[in-house]
Amino acid sequence: MAKTPVFDVKDLRFTYRKSSIEAVAGISFKVHEGEIFGLLGPSGAGKSTTQKILTRLYTDYQGEIMYRGQNLKSYDNQYYEDIGVGFELPVHFSKLTGMENMKFFSELYRSRTEIEPLMERVGLLEDKDRLVGEYSKGMKMRLNFVRALLNNPNVLFLDEVTNGLDPKNARIIKDAIREFKNNGGTVFLSTHLMNDVEELCDRVAFIRRGEIVEIATPRELKIKHGQREVNVEYFDNGKTKQATFALDGIGENEQFMALLKDKTIETIHSGETSMDEIFIAVTGEEVDA
Amino acid sequence: MHNFVPLFKGEMQRLVKYKILQIAFVVTLLWLAVLFLIGEDSVAQFVPLFIFMDATMMTVMLVGANLFYEKQENTLKTLLITPSGFAALMTSKFLSAIVLAFQSTAVISLFAYFLFDVTVSFGWLFMGVALITFMHTALGFLFTVFVKDFTGLLALLILYMFVFAFPSIFYALGVFGESAEVWLMFSPTHASLLLIEFAYGLDVRTVLLPIGAVYLLVVGVALIKWVVVPKYVETAVKE
Repeated sequence: MAKTPVFDVKDLRFTYRKSSIEAVAGISFKVHEGEIFGLLGPSGAGKSTTQKILTRLYTDYQGEIMYRGQNLKSYDNQYYEDIGVGFELPVHFSKLTGMENMKFFSELYRSRTEIEPLMERVGLLEDKDRLVGEYSKGMKMRLNFVRALLNNPNVLFLDEVTNGLDPKNARIIKDAIREFKNNGGTVFLSTHLMNDVEELCDRVAFIRRGEIVEIATPRELKIKHGQREVNVEYFDNGKTKQATFALDGIGENEQFMALLKDKTIETIHSGETSMDEIFIAVTGEEVDA
Repeated sequence: MHNFVPLFKGEMQRLVKYKILQIAFVVTLLWLAVLFLIGEDSVAQFVPLFIFMDATMMTVMLVGANLFYEKQENTLKTLLITPSGFAALMTSKFLSAIVLAFQSTAVISLFAYFLFDVTVSFGWLFMGVALITFMHTALGFLFTVFVKDFTGLLALLILYMFVFAFPSIFYALGVFGESAEVWLMFSPTHASLLLIEFAYGLDVRTVLLPIGAVYLLVVGVALIKWVVVPKYVETAVKE
């Protein structure tokens, strides 16, 4: 028997009070236990609204959201014992130290994890007694991540979690997310950073103007949107030359085999497309810088 | 009221860390300095007025300052995604504002009592201040969610004091007859001042006191229910 999904969203609709346009226009999807589910889309597509609905910040939606087989509307605030939320912007008291902030939030939960190992995990232990107002943006974002994990959640909502982080710190956070997933946690990730998606997500949904236009694994998307071809750069007569071959039947392609045998190959690539290109193709918009 | 204790502790910690408590204390010291300069003859008249100013204007300003920090730092939203009940969240904020007002009320009233023999019924005084602060905290919330910055808050506060102070001034000047005071009880500032004056044994019509007290309570509760809570949530989620 199939396991009950963590979230089962059916025909979800939401319209802001002063608007006549649906911000979320009838989306349906499932998020399974232990998976990292990415919600991608351009600004204003409905990602944040969807996340706010799933975190119960907006409750006057239409459609049905089942959380672990039970209607989300039937949950009270104890729902927050089970989830952790990492916001896009820093959400801390600037005149309190990092540790004072974490202790304050930690006391609001029944289930608590030790704060110091978490701070150490994201490289903030040495700065735990500094005022958050003195932190850099990257440090505040890492503290956001710690904040999301304070209650030892089963489900993690992360919004642009590596935004503003240098590659080293982004790597630390991404490794921690993977570790969370490997320990059985479920992650709902909203981002426009395709690199994060490629590295982390098991499945992604592209949202455009409130509607989901595609749901698949990154691999399925790459196969679907990629070119079934092989591009070869080789050295010939003192020059770099390029040739493209169809991927189908490549083993029997004499010209390709001869090239491999006789020439000096400089690079060889399949026609796999990047997630950035898929984003543009699916949503019709450029990826934000 | 789940999580009331840690939320209240957090509010008090932030009042200190953001130096709001210290600023309130400095303002109280200024009131004391003024009382000292006024001299013994007039102190009894001014003490209720200073306590009134502190419980009304200062409350709105300090609540506003606190909330503007929270808006700036996006912390309103993060508290909504904790298991804390909204009632606990609001109560902790209101109670911390009352504690702040109690601090200055205690210092001013004890100063006047011991140095100038200005007697007061402490029970009535603190009950009155609690009620006045409750209503003006709700007002501080209301102003803060509708304006963009602290200047806007000050402008609204001045307008509020101006509009509601005028009828009281006209009444004091004898423009209206004595019967008009019943209607003046619907001015939150007049009702507030009356409660404090009563605690100080000044000549007030005691029959009006319950009207004033109930009025402040009802306005405070109505503001919380129909304006503060929905606007607070809207502002927090929008962050």
